[in-house]
Amino acid sequence: MPSIVVTATPTVRPEGAIAVLRAGTGDSGEGLTPHFKIIEQFEAANPDIQVQLEPVGSGDYYARILTQIAAGDPPDLLQIGDDAVPRFVDAGAFIALDDYITGGEHPLDTSIYLPGVLEPGRWNGKQYLLPKDFSPLAVYYNKKLFDEAGVPYPQDGWTWQEFLDTAKQLTKTDAAGKVTQWGVQLPGPWTTGFEYWVSAAGGKLISEDGSTFTGYMDSPEVQEAVQFYADLYNKEKVAPLPADMNSFGGGNTEFENGTAAMRIFGRWPQAGLRQNPNIDLGVVGMPVGKQRANVLFWGGFGISALSQDKEATWRFLRDYTGIEGAETWKDWALPTVKEVADSSGLSTDPIEGVWLNELNYLAPRAYVSTPYWGETADPALRRVLETVILDPQANVAELLKTAAQDAQSALEELP
Amino acid sequence: MFLKSRAARRETLTFYLLISPWIVGFLFFTLGPVLVSLGISFTRWNLLTPPVPIGLRNYTRMLDDRLFWQSLSVTFRYTLLYVPSELVGGLLLALLMNRNIKGIRADRTSYYLPTVISGVAFVVVWMWLFQPEVGLINATLSRFGIQGPRWLADPRTALFALWMMSLWGLGRNAIIFLAGLKGIPKELYEAAAMDGAGMWQGFRHVTLPMLTPTIFFVLVLSLIATLQTFTSAFVATNGGPLDSTLFYVLYLYRKAFQEFQMGYAAALAWVLFIVILLLTILVVRSGQWWVYYEGERES
Amino acid sequence: MITQSSPWQNRVRRLGVFLLVWGVAALFLIPFLWMVSSSLKPNYQIFATPPQWIPNPPQWQNYTEALTMLPFGRYVVNTAIITIAVIFGHLLSCTLIAYAFARLRAPGRDTLFIVVLATMMLPYPVTMVPLYVLFNWLDWINTFLPLTVPAFFGSAFYIFLLRQFFMTVPRDLEDAARIDGANTLQIIFRIMTPLALPAMVTVAIFSFQAAWNDFLAPLIYLQQPDLYTVTLGLQFFRSTFTTNWAYLMAASLATSLPMILLFFVAQRYFIEGISLGGMKG
Repeated sequence: MPSIVVTATPTVRPEGAIAVLRAGTGDSGEGLTPHFKIIEQFEAANPDIQVQLEPVGSGDYYARILTQIAAGDPPDLLQIGDDAVPRFVDAGAFIALDDYITGGEHPLDTSIYLPGVLEPGRWNGKQYLLPKDFSPLAVYYNKKLFDEAGVPYPQDGWTWQEFLDTAKQLTKTDAAGKVTQWGVQLPGPWTTGFEYWVSAAGGKLISEDGSTFTGYMDSPEVQEAVQFYADLYNKEKVAPLPADMNSFGGGNTEFENGTAAMRIFGRWPQAGLRQNPNIDLGVVGMPVGKQRANVLFWGGFGISALSQDKEATWRFLRDYTGIEGAETWKDWALPTVKEVADSSGLSTDPIEGVWLNELNYLAPRAYVSTPYWGETADPALRRVLETVILDPQANVAELLKTAAQDAQSALEELP
Repeated sequence: MFLKSRAARRETLTFYLLISPWIVGFLFFTLGPVLVSLGISFTRWNLLTPPVPIGLRNYTRMLDDRLFWQSLSVTFRYTLLYVPSELVGGLLLALLMNRNIKGIRADRTSYYLPTVISGVAFVVVWMWLFQPEVGLINATLSRFGIQGPRWLADPRTALFALWMMSLWGLGRNAIIFLAGLKGIPKELYEAAAMDGAGMWQGFRHVTLPMLTPTIFFVLVLSLIATLQTFTSAFVATNGGPLDSTLFYVLYLYRKAFQEFQMGYAAALAWVLFIVILLLTILVVRSGQWWVYYEGERES
Repeated sequence: MITQSSPWQNRVRRLGVFLLVWGVAALFLIPFLWMVSSSLKPNYQIFATPPQWIPNPPQWQNYTEALTMLPFGRYVVNTAIITIAVIFGHLLSCTLIAYAFARLRAPGRDTLFIVVLATMMLPYPVTMVPLYVLFNWLDWINTFLPLTVPAFFGSAFYIFLLRQFFMTVPRDLEDAARIDGANTLQIIFRIMTPLALPAMVTVAIFSFQAAWNDFLAPLIYLQQPDLYTVTLGLQFFRSTFTTNWAYLMAASLATSLPMILLFFVAQRYFIEGISLGGMKG
């Protein structure tokens, strides 16, 4: 079986030889254009390095890079999502970048980044990945429907109660009692998105040392968060039930159809929503519960421990995720570099500014405490969310208690 | 006696000569990886660091794994539902395809159309049709005053919905049956008609027996493939809601590539392998009682 | 078939069959037509309530944009190369192997046949890594070899399919040819394959389709974008959080056209079928 040898000694490349780097990304479609653009610019400026992009669309990306890593043949540069970072880094798939960042011929000033965007790439105090793009959550709203109902647009800093009242005012039923317009479209049993509600309610899902779920997942704060979320569906009936339980966002389409006034989600579908004639789009920060909170979804690049030419890979990574890269990324996603966000006017844009402002309220995600979040607590929490959405009679406290115990024993029984 | 055994030896030699490509391919491309996967099943391996041998622990662990049993149950229930419907449905469709009517070519093509759509798009179309509020199925039902179920979003109907979705690909087996039907010599029908057999008797006494090799093939293949159902659930439900569509191979894939437990996934795979192998041997053995091969008939 | 019904009854029966055949066809066509309709809509119209059948206005540019956003021409060429090699490999190898299993008696045959079937029983995810190691060791990664070469060594599905059909061919035809001095290869290619033509065509169609729609193998073995196949390209319309539905549908439909055409043409061989009597006579 091939094994991973973590070496810090870069291979010495003969003078004048061209290094060919491989870069793996899970981005797809139009999202690939900025990659190609940055690579082109980088190659023009660095004739001794060529970069081959190896994109894989959608959910099969991890199956491919895991196979490649297991066989000892991964790309030099690997993109992974925030929740995979602890797992990959913990197993030694990436090298720490600190020495490259502070020393060496090509240092990187990490103070250029916006608040919170470096953290997901960090593990045990070291920086392993650098940010490519990110999105917090926010509330999209359709000004048309607000105007029709004579409801004022939501304002930054609004509370859970105001959010609920707004949603109620915008929910309309016909004479037969059938809902014709919904207050808000929620992202279904999406566990990572749900962490916002937990943090905003002042709760935590896991102890800081990553060892304990009981007493956290089933705490009164988490109960309150689940209850509030479930009530939006089943008691207040301001949110349409998920069309399926799998798609991110619950597979619902009411907001796109102009039959839901608000939608909670990340920035990903924003370009499509802006072109949609059913919608006059506004975006506002997430409502404030016991505290103001948000969660970050993030993709970043790191250098594979198996890379044969880490020095060259670093030079590319530095561009890819630095100011040069951000200048290109900004046309496709939120830029990670503050200077770019400011100079392009995004920081003050009525819509983009909202997303950037949310970075000031990020709560740590649960997976930063344990590499095993995905196979222990995540399925347990998912079961709770699916149950409370499907069953209006569900007992939230009981469910969470069982879930915390399940997660706890799953963690303790890990092989 | 000597001559006969020489002929037999010659036949044996020809047999092995003809299947030699398969043997070479098997030894080279299949056996190695298969044995390695067996080895992996006795280890703990996250794919990122070297595997650690743990003996039979992966296998004993399954006994207490709630989701292992759940996935086994989902898979068996689905197989019991799907395999018979695939056999009967495929055959009925083939009989329709075999009619000699106007536009039959376009008609056959339309049965077959869904099977050419690549996996993801196929499933996505059905996810739209199943949408509880805006989907075509429930929108049509509501015109007749029927409140349709929530299909993929409801644990009570999700598996059934996946079954309906898969029936859309029935054209594939229908083609095999059609090929079987076309292989039946016309004289047999003529002879049967001469004996005064009607359509139903013709079907019972000519079509069915002559088609048993095809039925046998579809049954075995359908069993092997259905027990490994993956794509529809992977795309449409990811096993949910509440694990109601957690197919065995989906669970195995999740363990391997989402939870980084390749050792456990390999053990799961080998358990499934044994189950499928035993069932297949059972069906193959039963074949000698009900499969009729024209070529085996002593002339 | 001999029928004694009146012409009137006959007409009613024909009409009944006609309605049945097309009624069932409609069931199969509706999801497909919905797909076509969706491929011509702007994304926000796809989920409109109540469902709209006719795109207004039809977005023909979805097709051109979806197919030019990525180098689909290139992907089609790559896929075609792989597909042709695979069909050729399967037809050649599986015919020989299937004949042996169908007709020749040899010790170990039945056990070997179970082994052939068993190669389909181990779920792919667990052999993926060792296979990758193997092909990497052969230096076949980033070539079409891992996708095509194995086809020349037979594939259980097609071996089994052809075996079933060969076994239904009456032995006397073969015996007669043998008496005339034909050797085994001549028997296979002059007698068996023409007689099992519908099965051979079935193998070709399925093999075409399996290679054309194969996803996991190209995903793992082809890393350079200029080697990508159609299915890998289609995957690019989906990302984790959003999907370009209309483009996905447009590109899926456009790239499945070769299979639809192949089927439409190949079915001639089903219609004509084979009259054993004619051969015997």
